Amino acid sequence: MKKIIIDLLDNGEVHIETTGFQGPTCVEETQFLKDFLGRETFKRLIPAYFVRVKNKIIKKYLQLCG
Amino acid sequence: MSHISKVEVEIQSLDDLKKACQRLGLTFQEGQTSYKWYGRWVGDAPLPEGVKQEDLGKCAHAIHVPGADYEVGIVKTSNKYQLLWDSWSAGKLEKVLGKDAGLLKQAYAIERVKRESKLKGYRIQEKRIDNGIRLIMTL
Repeated sequence: MKKIIIDLLDNGEVHIETTGFQGPTCVEETQFLKDFLGRETFKRLIPAYFVRVKNKIIKKYLQLCG
Repeated sequence: MSHISKVEVEIQSLDDLKKACQRLGLTFQEGQTSYKWYGRWVGDAPLPEGVKQEDLGKCAHAIHVPGADYEVGIVKTSNKYQLLWDSWSAGKLEKVLGKDAGLLKQAYAIERVKRESKLKGYRIQEKRIDNGIRLIMTL
């Protein structure tokens, strides 16, 4: 199941986490949230990002932080 | 694939800010062009981006906070709105709004996410967590 979890903290910070998306769609699917909420200050792809797509592991999107 | 992002909230929608005020029991004062504050810049904190000293105290709208002596001013700058307010403890705003008006930004973000996500067809669950509110959106 595609799921977006948004933690809206008491200090005004917003953390967005996605699960269940295939390929790079999680970033695309949450872009609308970031666009209307403000400015993205941090992004980290978590291990599930490195899925095999057409028998090829896409590593060029590797981004540990920033 | 998954990822984690952090977003700094910017106020872009007055409608959602009004809903956030309702959520927190604050009063949105449409068209009020000044807000209550200490009244004199003492330089104990940096001025908000794009705001000059002579702009302080002036606004396009304001927010009245029950129990506080000071108010929040709302100023439009380019494509967003800025919240101007005096965090000096005597004004009692920080007690209600949290540090850096975090609770007001949180309430705004909740209203904004709910409205926009429904348009996209997401189902939304809201629950309280230790340090905030969690919205779970599912398709």
